[in-house]
Amino acid sequence: MKILKQLFNATRSHFETGGKLAKLHPLFDAIETVAFAPALPTRADTHVRDSLDLKRFMTFVIIALLPPFFYGIYNTGYQAGVASGQTPGIIAASLAGAWVVLPMLMVSYGVGLFWEILFASVRGHKISEGFLVTGLLFPMTLPPTIPLWQVAVGISFGVVIGKEIFGGTGRNILNPALTGRAFLFFAYPVNMSGDRVWTAVQQTGQQAVDAVTAATPLALSPLAASGETVTRILADAGYTFQRLFVGNLPGSVGETSTLMILAGAIFLLVTGVANYRIMLGGVLGVLAVAYPGYLLNLSSGGETARLFSVHPAWHLVMGSFAFGIVYMATDPVSAPGMNLSRWIYGFIIGALTVMIRVFNPAYPEGTMLAILFMNIFAPLIDHFVIKARLSKRVPNV
Amino acid sequence: MNAIHLKKGFSPRIAGTPGRRLQKLEKPRHVGMVPKQIPFIKPRLLVKEGDAVRIGTPLFEDKRNPRIRFLSPGGGTVTRIAFGPRRVIEAVVITLDDEEFSESFDKPATDQLATASRAEWVELLLAGGMWPFLRSLPFMDLADPDFIPPAIIVRLGDDEPFAPDPVVYLEGREDDFSSGMDLLGRLCERVILNLTGDDSLKSQLSGQMEMRCFSGPYPSGNPAVQLYRTKKGADENRAWFIDGQAVILLGQFLRTGRYPLERIVTVGGSLAPEAGHLLARAGVPLRMLAGGGPLKKTAARYIVGGFFTGFSGSEDSYLSFYQNALNLIDDGDREEPFAFIRPGADKPSYSTAFLSALRKKPFPMDCSQHGEQRACVNCGTCARICPVDILPQFTMKCLVADEVEEALAHGLLDCAECGLCTYACPSKIELCEVLRSAKAQYYKEIA
Repeated sequence: MKILKQLFNATRSHFETGGKLAKLHPLFDAIETVAFAPALPTRADTHVRDSLDLKRFMTFVIIALLPPFFYGIYNTGYQAGVASGQTPGIIAASLAGAWVVLPMLMVSYGVGLFWEILFASVRGHKISEGFLVTGLLFPMTLPPTIPLWQVAVGISFGVVIGKEIFGGTGRNILNPALTGRAFLFFAYPVNMSGDRVWTAVQQTGQQAVDAVTAATPLALSPLAASGETVTRILADAGYTFQRLFVGNLPGSVGETSTLMILAGAIFLLVTGVANYRIMLGGVLGVLAVAYPGYLLNLSSGGETARLFSVHPAWHLVMGSFAFGIVYMATDPVSAPGMNLSRWIYGFIIGALTVMIRVFNPAYPEGTMLAILFMNIFAPLIDHFVIKARLSKRVPNV
Repeated sequence: MNAIHLKKGFSPRIAGTPGRRLQKLEKPRHVGMVPKQIPFIKPRLLVKEGDAVRIGTPLFEDKRNPRIRFLSPGGGTVTRIAFGPRRVIEAVVITLDDEEFSESFDKPATDQLATASRAEWVELLLAGGMWPFLRSLPFMDLADPDFIPPAIIVRLGDDEPFAPDPVVYLEGREDDFSSGMDLLGRLCERVILNLTGDDSLKSQLSGQMEMRCFSGPYPSGNPAVQLYRTKKGADENRAWFIDGQAVILLGQFLRTGRYPLERIVTVGGSLAPEAGHLLARAGVPLRMLAGGGPLKKTAARYIVGGFFTGFSGSEDSYLSFYQNALNLIDDGDREEPFAFIRPGADKPSYSTAFLSALRKKPFPMDCSQHGEQRACVNCGTCARICPVDILPQFTMKCLVADEVEEALAHGLLDCAECGLCTYACPSKIELCEVLRSAKAQYYKEIA
């Protein structure tokens, strides 16, 4: 620890005003405050302060992201192996996956940090630890076949347009990582949708072997021919509920395993970093739309909205709903701040997710759009909830 | 009798709780008054250095209302008047004579007690220097003698760590307390006794006037919180409040006709050499309260008053007018390696993000901010902890955007200034300071 402190002391002068690297002071400061929480005694009253700070708050989100992240690395490699006609072991799969995912992560952090430092330097701000979450979330939402330059473009859009132009962490209205992903989704649809992007087949120039489909369950569902049920189609492709829950299937890097996401969610809830109301509201929203649809479908044959024929619980484990509701929707900055608003916000995200899935064949997945849409409405929900609450106060003016 | 349990709020388990044993402190060589720790006052000095004063000689008055005067807590010579930046009076120091003389005040004779008018009582309290013990909500300024409040709240038991325990300061002084309560009854028709803490007092005091028992975490002993939880209409907002110990002083003043000097003071915190209750005199030097000798090895902060709302002092400072506690804790001025990722079994927190959530033992707290200031991320912790249901994060944003009307609608004036929002904020935003200064600004504008 002493050596580390000496190292900081020795290099500090270069980063201070007048030093060669004075412009990079935010970077130095960020690294130093990670290693040593600065000595900051309180100035006036409220002499004592809680031990929780934003660094720990954000670190806990990163810790909660680790189970799906590591599983994502393994799964990426495993799916690539399967698509090439092999069944790789856990180590081989992880290595192959790391080869794909780590460059994405490095580009995301590198390019995002560049923007973060640029804005922090120009504004004279500190580098916010909020970026560390964005930089990890973003690659986890991308398909493993994404070109790295698109990762760079996407994180740039997310950080600059999604966050920094509003004033930085805490002032953005949209989730920056999702903003970046939505940008890529609409700007480069070929690399972000369809059934060819979800498996990182090694660079052999071949497509996935015929026996193994690379399509995700949601991409498959609309393909069901007339008269076929979606459950049947999914079963034919080998997608059981259990497999969807564990996450051993093609998809975005971090989204596939509901099991791992659940582990992260429990950590977030136990430590109080994420709000359970949003998550629970989301689950209720999914069920509230999917269940009546499912029942109607059972009774009518359901030719028009075929995705209603899967059991409602499947909607919770298919696609990126779990990932979105646990890690994206609970972002406190872009979510509403009142408890009732959080229920409403989560509920509508869940409901919209299912509605987009079921009724809009152009977008097989609705979570991203549902969350971004509700990000915009979060202040409005808060506005009305606060208004209702204030009307109950005994005035004191 | 009403029992009210507060759910919101938070009591961190802090090491160094003062015991109930009362010790007598010897007479200090000098005492002091600290005008700058009296909120809103604009003091005008009535003495100069070198003047001889008696116990009860006026030292300074409030320019806004010269009838309100603060009297000398000792007889002797004014040896020092210390000024701070912009001529703020930091301390008026009186070196005590061996034999002190006291001013006496003409109290009504025993048979005239019932017939004296309210105006006469007000004049007596003003002249006797007892008036400033009455303060008015919601701004916590000195009470206005020309205004009849809707109610007077007697706060018996302050639950801010570590204020004097009413069990200790009431013992043997019940008569003074009840005559003080009678006196309050002559100022205002409605006097409410708000009891926090020990249940044994409940039976002892029952039969008195309107009484309420508060329980729950800090700040259930805060009069603004107590009023917020019990008020039925807007007409109650301008209630006055007074501390339980000050009611005893009122009774003592009435009995003796002299300015009372005794205060029961607590000394607490992990660095206190001996945490406990002390029978000291008003304006006692903090050095004496802290045991006189040097403290343990770490740098200590002298907090006059509670951990949340007290003032920073130094060993050369004096006990201030409203505060009856001295807390000594580590100043926390040091870096901590990898603080953000430590398991934190010894780190107190409102959140469950530390292993300390599983621990029952009290923590030796320090005055470190535990992190750097950041923008508000709307985590909502402040709103969850706020005892008067303000939404500090939104109210703060209203105030930063100069939307004072909206902040008032949010309940800005109900703010009890308990400091819990600032305590709990993970972004380390000085929420309480923003709210309090906005309140003060508004008060100055309407005054």
